Amino acid sequence: MNRRFDFYILGWLLLLDAAFLCLPLLASVMYRESPLPYLAAIGFAGVVGFALVNFYPPVDRHIRPRDGFLVVSGAWMAVSLVGAVPYLLTGALGPVDALFESISGFTTTGSTVIVDTTIVPRALLLWRAMTQWLGGMGIILFTIAILPLLGIGGMQLFKAEVPGPVADKVRPRLAATARTLWFVYVGFTAAEWVALRLAGLSGFDALCHSFTTLATGGFSTENTSVGAFSSATVEWIVIFFMLLAGINFVLHYRLLTGHIKSVWRDNELRYFLGVVVAATAILVVSVHEPGARIADSLRDSAFQTVSILTTTGYVTTDFEGWATLPLLVLLCLMVLGGMSGSTGGGVKSLRALLAVRSLRTTLHRLIHPHAVRPVKYGGAVVSESVLSGIWAFLTAYLLIGLIGAAVVAAYGYDLLTAISAAMTAIGNVGPGLGEVGAYDNFAHFPGLAKVVLAALMLFGRLEIFTLLALFSREFWRR
Amino acid sequence: MQVIVVGGGLVGSTLAEKIAGDGHDVTLVEQNRKLIADLNERLDVQTIHGNGATIPVLMQAGIENADLLLATTNSDEANMVVALVGSVIFKVPRVAARLRDPEHEGGFRRIVREPGGERVAINPDLAAVDKILSLMPVPGAVDVVSFFDGKLLVAGFHIKPASEFAGLLLSHLRLLFPVSPVLVVAIRRDGRWRVPYGDDEIRAGDLVYFVMDPAELDNILVLLGLHRGAERRVMVAGATRIGVSLARRLEEGGVPVTLIDQRREACDRAAAELDDTLVLHGSPTDRELLREEGADRVEGFVACTDGHEENVVACLLAGRMGAAHTFALVDNAALSGLVGDLGVDAVISPRLLSVSLALQFARKGRIRAVAALLEDSVEVFEVEAAEGSRLVRSDLSKLGLPRGMLVVAVQRDDRIFIPGGEDRIEPGDQVIVAATSETAPRLDGFIGA
Repeated sequence: MNRRFDFYILGWLLLLDAAFLCLPLLASVMYRESPLPYLAAIGFAGVVGFALVNFYPPVDRHIRPRDGFLVVSGAWMAVSLVGAVPYLLTGALGPVDALFESISGFTTTGSTVIVDTTIVPRALLLWRAMTQWLGGMGIILFTIAILPLLGIGGMQLFKAEVPGPVADKVRPRLAATARTLWFVYVGFTAAEWVALRLAGLSGFDALCHSFTTLATGGFSTENTSVGAFSSATVEWIVIFFMLLAGINFVLHYRLLTGHIKSVWRDNELRYFLGVVVAATAILVVSVHEPGARIADSLRDSAFQTVSILTTTGYVTTDFEGWATLPLLVLLCLMVLGGMSGSTGGGVKSLRALLAVRSLRTTLHRLIHPHAVRPVKYGGAVVSESVLSGIWAFLTAYLLIGLIGAAVVAAYGYDLLTAISAAMTAIGNVGPGLGEVGAYDNFAHFPGLAKVVLAALMLFGRLEIFTLLALFSREFWRR
Repeated sequence: MQVIVVGGGLVGSTLAEKIAGDGHDVTLVEQNRKLIADLNERLDVQTIHGNGATIPVLMQAGIENADLLLATTNSDEANMVVALVGSVIFKVPRVAARLRDPEHEGGFRRIVREPGGERVAINPDLAAVDKILSLMPVPGAVDVVSFFDGKLLVAGFHIKPASEFAGLLLSHLRLLFPVSPVLVVAIRRDGRWRVPYGDDEIRAGDLVYFVMDPAELDNILVLLGLHRGAERRVMVAGATRIGVSLARRLEEGGVPVTLIDQRREACDRAAAELDDTLVLHGSPTDRELLREEGADRVEGFVACTDGHEENVVACLLAGRMGAAHTFALVDNAALSGLVGDLGVDAVISPRLLSVSLALQFARKGRIRAVAALLEDSVEVFEVEAAEGSRLVRSDLSKLGLPRGMLVVAVQRDDRIFIPGGEDRIEPGDQVIVAATSETAPRLDGFIGA
């Protein structure tokens, strides 16, 4: 491991973080709020970052897969720590809550402990939305460029040697790839801002929601989320952009460069859109009440489906009143999550799709014991190592989720609350069901439960194994 | 006609023999001295020792004046070079190359597109696949050839003792099929071929070739005591190049396929390449496996592993279980002679198929299509009767056709009929003629003006 270089990279990341903090600082001056919390955070990040970059310079710049685990995990924890400073210093939240909110932001989860957003400084709300947006940028870089190198959870599929739609070397060089996809990301954000402005939102609301939509984060400036705007147009715009954010950004790039055919043939995209349609249909049928307008039911159902599946977590309707079946659908969507290569969380549709195909193959083998039937994706055979990686991922995902649920349950919460809180945290969704439902928040949870759920968010965001690797003794052996 | 054949293996030597038999001057180029000695003893052709893929050797063989060049060595690369040199440098009017690798074939097709001369690529594997696919719709058939754009079918069957045809006089065939024409063109009995006449009788154990309207096929199958498979599924043994491309073609036609191979890597490759085919890892002669996977109910069972004896065994096994139609890939002349009598329905020989294709190419003049029934012994031609040719001079019975040559069917203005002795062929008619290989060369004398 090249630890000196790892810390050097973290140092630069903190300096970058400090630079981005200038935006809420500016906002605080504009809105005549106290600039101090941001100055303090900038100072903290700047000093530590400067120290890491200058007093601990790397001898060589060679980096190994092991460094990847450390840098990525370290990066999310470090920026989350810095990000918590403004919450703490504005007096909005206590230390544990500040950290929870910050981690929830950078992991693009969107679970909140802020009880009333209307009394919080505007600059802080901007920072809160920005943390998600920055987290989303990090995710794109992480899943496109770093995850395949680490080869965890079956995401070796992303490696360029796999032909077909998953060959994700969009541009030959890593930096160029990241730049291209960020360009798409920033472009979509700008497009949504324009669309929301045209739909009548204030510049500030439009900006915050654009930030948190493209990151599939879900923090809102309103207590009742997107539902607060009571505008069908706004809701459809948000549905559209949530959907875009839940789709692999490489596909967006292909679409924008005119490779429509390869996008249309993408197995995962078809599966993802299929889930959207199927879940929306189930919700419409089971939620629609006689007398209500069908257009409203359709919009509510589509919004909740897309919001939960892409793990954004916006809310337009209080689904706590829904029957058991639609709630179960939402719970399933939470676990499924967005496409690989998107900013969404969950287990990712690629893994779900391959797991289902692998199941089908297993079943087929029972009937034809001699059959040679590989799992295929995009016309190519998926290797056994990729499949076992996927199964290991799913197992670890559910186990860690269960641990989280157990902790919440131990504090006396009901089953629905416990399970959904854990799944929403590890899936980076935002709201859960029961006592952490649509219009509820996580403020009433005890400190330990918040810490555990925040850890779950990090686990989920870092594809479990990136973080889990750090807990292995083998990892730290020289 | 000056003909050069490069390569003296089974394909090359058979071709040389046949073409020389047609009365052309054949020069055969072969690198193996021992083989040359054998060929000199056996064939009446000029042989040249040397590498046919080199210009001096080709010039020695007289390529500058050649009308036809056939590249038939075992190496695709060598055949490619021979064909290139022949067509590009020496401008030989007609060139055929035997190419197994589809990539080579693709490359060759680019030359074909260049103007000046006729060039074809002959792919034995592809020919085998095409053959199997053409046989597949006719259960139990040994050979199927269609003429007049599919409006007339020639199909050969083994006559089982239980068949209604056993003991039937040929002159009674008209009574069984009063509406549309059904005719027997050739019978193989006791290892000998005959082009039959009305007083001949069909016996159990015969191999009989029928000419028929495709609409009569099902009636004939019933009389033969043959059945179609219970399922539309086809079982292919051997994930070889032929096996996999056959499975792919069947898949494309919507037919479910089961592919069996003993080699794990071959199975993996096939499974990666094919989409819907059920690929099984196991022995094609494993009775339990075949039964478990329903070999008794399949429409066709094709054995195309690299072990040709194994193919025969697998086919016999599947046939005994109840597979409707069995095909064995056998490239060994001695073995293929035996197999028909054993009970394998169709024997597929890629090499002989390539001979047949090359021969069709070589003989193509006035003759429109040539089909060799069971490879060599009876050939069926589709010819156009030219103005002033001997064919149109008098009634059929007075034409003086040699014994062993038979006018099978005539197409005149979209009407197809089987002519009798008093019928006369008119200029412009499309005529199907069956002839034993001894009499076939004399056909040219009848159709020439």
